[in-house]
Amino acid sequence: MDKSALQKELVKMLGKDKVLCDELDLMYYSYDSSFLTKLEPANPWAVVMPHSTEEVQQIMKLAFDNNIDIIPRGAGTGETGGCVALKGGIVLDLSTWDEIEEIDAKNMQVILRPGVIHAHLNKELAKYNLFFPPDPGSSQMCTVGGMVANNASGLRAVKYGCTEQYILGLEVVLANGDVITTGGMKARCIKNVSGLNLTKLMVGSEGILGVITKIRLRCWPRPKARGIAMAVFDNLDDAPATVLDVYQAGVLPSGIEILDSSAIQAVNLFKPEINLPEAEAILLFEVDGNPPSVEYEGQVIKEVAGKRARNVEWSTETKRMAELWEGRSITATAAARVRKDGSRIFAGEDISVPLAKVADTLRAIRALGDKYGIKVVNYGHIGDGNVHTAPVINPENPEEVERVMQLVHDIHLLAIEMEGSTTGEHGVGAVRRQYAEMEHGQAWNYMKEIKKAFDPKGLMNPGKLI
Amino acid sequence: MEFRKLPPVQEQIMKCVRCGKCRSVCPVFDEIRNETAAPRGHVFMVQMLRDGQVNPRQEVYDRLGNCLLCETCSVNCPSGINVHELNAAARSYIYEQNPSIGKELIFDTMWTKPGLLRTSTKIMSGLQKLGLQSFARNTGLTRMLPGDLPRAEKIMSSIPSQPARNRLRKINRARGEKKYTVGYFLGCGTDILNPNVALATVDVLTRNGCDVLIPQDMKCCGLPHIANGKMDTARLLAIHNIKIFNSYKLDYIISDCASCTSALSRKNMEFLLGGLKIEDEAFEFSDKVMDLTRFLVEVIDIKLPVVNKDDENIRVTYHDPCHLANAQGIKEQPRELLKRIPGVDFVEMADANRCCGGSGTYSLTHYDLSMKILDRKMDNVMVTGADKIATCCPSCSMQLRHGISRHNYKGEVIHPVELVSQSYPKTLPAK
Ligand SMILES: Cc1cc2nc3c(=O)[nH]c(=O)nc-3n(C[C@H](O)[C@H](O)[C@H](O)COP(=O)(O)OP(=O)(O)OC[C@H]3O[C@@H](n4cnc5c(N)ncnc54)[C@H](O)[C@@H]3O)c2cc1C
Ligand code: SF4
Ligand code: SF4
Repeated sequence: MDKSALQKELVKMLGKDKVLCDELDLMYYSYDSSFLTKLEPANPWAVVMPHSTEEVQQIMKLAFDNNIDIIPRGAGTGETGGCVALKGGIVLDLSTWDEIEEIDAKNMQVILRPGVIHAHLNKELAKYNLFFPPDPGSSQMCTVGGMVANNASGLRAVKYGCTEQYILGLEVVLANGDVITTGGMKARCIKNVSGLNLTKLMVGSEGILGVITKIRLRCWPRPKARGIAMAVFDNLDDAPATVLDVYQAGVLPSGIEILDSSAIQAVNLFKPEINLPEAEAILLFEVDGNPPSVEYEGQVIKEVAGKRARNVEWSTETKRMAELWEGRSITATAAARVRKDGSRIFAGEDISVPLAKVADTLRAIRALGDKYGIKVVNYGHIGDGNVHTAPVINPENPEEVERVMQLVHDIHLLAIEMEGSTTGEHGVGAVRRQYAEMEHGQAWNYMKEIKKAFDPKGLMNPGKLI
Repeated sequence: MEFRKLPPVQEQIMKCVRCGKCRSVCPVFDEIRNETAAPRGHVFMVQMLRDGQVNPRQEVYDRLGNCLLCETCSVNCPSGINVHELNAAARSYIYEQNPSIGKELIFDTMWTKPGLLRTSTKIMSGLQKLGLQSFARNTGLTRMLPGDLPRAEKIMSSIPSQPARNRLRKINRARGEKKYTVGYFLGCGTDILNPNVALATVDVLTRNGCDVLIPQDMKCCGLPHIANGKMDTARLLAIHNIKIFNSYKLDYIISDCASCTSALSRKNMEFLLGGLKIEDEAFEFSDKVMDLTRFLVEVIDIKLPVVNKDDENIRVTYHDPCHLANAQGIKEQPRELLKRIPGVDFVEMADANRCCGGSGTYSLTHYDLSMKILDRKMDNVMVTGADKIATCCPSCSMQLRHGISRHNYKGEVIHPVELVSQSYPKTLPAK
């Protein structure tokens, strides 16, 4: 089936409001947040916006019968080219399918369609005193479907972990159009060890095994109190050391975030009112729970961090906390501000290393930045060793692009050398497959076999993960 | 100036990391929901234009035109991209290659000549009574006008028969001790659609120690032209106004219109005239430009007479015009001004700084979408139960009035300065 026949068939199937075929419209789907697609945008053959499991099924059957690739897409905030049709095919834009079907407050769970925006979900859950704890920096824009597919986490993973811990069950449409439900999709229990754990297999599968069309999520009670301690350091090494000190003192904060000197500069340039102190690094410790324990843990952090930090600011004031937390979440993009003719790129941005090696890693990244003459802004989820590195370059200068690609490669190798991983939360997509064998050895072959079992024709999101 | 050489095109496109933050704040995206309406999509499309990957054709204009130029994305972009400037620059670039008679007629002929604009609106006012739509259809005018413009009669609230300029003198002396000489930039929207606002502005300024000068030969601020792909015309208008106002010795140049002050601001002058010979003169001019509410609160520190205790308080809410809140960061001053008016109970509406969907000519060219955005705004307005909806922009006022009639709401749209003026004993500046 050629492209125009496919487009006609899709319009016939779904109606013209749910299908984009115009070449100009398709161009808008040629990118996500990755540097890869900034350099090499790639258009799909058609974009469809299904609103029911049956519609997804029909599309999958059509694609299966005609050997056409399927690329699921949420909000396109992924950083790996994961939702882009690198070699044509149909992009399923699931972001408009955003019903919260049921909030089962008594059983502390919610059933939703994949396009619900993370922040919207938590706004609705707040009405029931519940929340879905994983908290990505992209909360305002990313979809829960995308979070499930990428097993996203974020600023609160230290205490609350990743998306996978909250998925009770999924509905998934497979490449041949079969619809399966995994885990407790049809049950309402919280514990369930019946059968092979296909739910966990689907979480983090980056759209290569099937299309997630329905999600049953476990929610947690919203903590009553919150506080943020900001510790300011004159020496970068003291920041990771303090993280270990705080754990040793018996405190498990909900989040521990680091911003290095250039990340601090970036935040202040975008939002001067946040007014972060100039320093080699700052750490933000968030604690939550009941009011006395928050106050107690805050004081312990203040005392422990105070041993190495120049200064520790403890705040339970809503406005200041919101500012500090916002400051951290905007760093990812605000990093571009540190260079007038530069932009941050999402490449080599997500390494994860053992806690005891964070200091060595940060030092090594600095050295690599110097080696290649590239400014690297560091920030991220230091509490679980997940460091975000933001090289800032002029992406329109080919020579700089070439240099930065070498830097990015070295950063990935560094992660593996440090007994870590090339990706802590953003995933593999099209940009980190080359490291898979190094990271997984023999298991890599079994992953390929699993993929074949679900998708014998290799139509689901080809060129990603596997 | 050539499109590719414009500073935002040269410096900002490459800064977009496609993070999508702008998707979460754009009112148009919120309605359309697919990437073709995302601000980052606009940045991407402008890049494609710059790189010659797409041709400057009408279809590209139509997609870029699906944007209110409300600047919400720009103020929220952590990377520092002025998405709206890129979009406006691209519209002009495309327009140059695809001129249209309708637009020439409206933006080059009518909207650059204040007298003609006033006359045309007078005619419109007459036509309104007859039914503009049927007139336009019968004369074949619909085919010449861009977008949904023929449906304008739905939104254009009844046009007052006397524009403000016919009722105001060129020089209006300060009452009491004189403190400042201000130039009053009387924008087209205020002049023609809201003349009472202009009368109130002059009243309040003169009561507060200002000599108010209204240059008779000033022209449109150029914002409608920027939005409609006529940047060259906007440049000519800006240069004209700079020359006129710089020929007087003024302490401030005040406008009650958010769109005018944003168009005359340093930021916009940099966009329009940056790098040109006139740049310094433009900055001298724009550094004097100030929004009226900010002037009354920060410079004058206005105090108002105590109200007659028998009168009932009125409930007032405030809608932030994008061109004031986003473009100029002015949010507190209009609220503060309203709170200083005796007898006003100020009530904040939810999402007060969310665009009303008017955005100058957007509501005329994209009627249906604009109404969806307006309906969300009206939901928030109506919950407040306000008697008056205050705002500082004629385009927002027109849109909100239309919202009131769509929803049969009891409230009335006013400019804060009208309430200030009404709080004084009632005398208006005589001609
Ligand atoms: C500024 C910024 C900050 C970020 N911060 C964090 C962070 O703190 N933590 C974190 O983990 N990530 C973070 N991310 C990365 C990204 O936001 C997350 O990975 C997010 O979960 C992606 O969601 P999305 O809806 O944008 O998915 P997309 O980018 O559209 O898709 C991501 C992948 O999921 C697949 N997919 C999407 N929906 C489905 C579905 N319904 N069924 C099957 N497959 C699907 C796609 O094929 C693709 O492979 C950040 C990104 C940005 C730009
Ligand atoms: S917020 Fe700014 S950097 Fe991010 S996608 Fe939008 S325009 Fe680009
Ligand atoms: S200017 Fe307003 S309408 Fe236009 S893209 Fe930005 S946020 Fe959307």
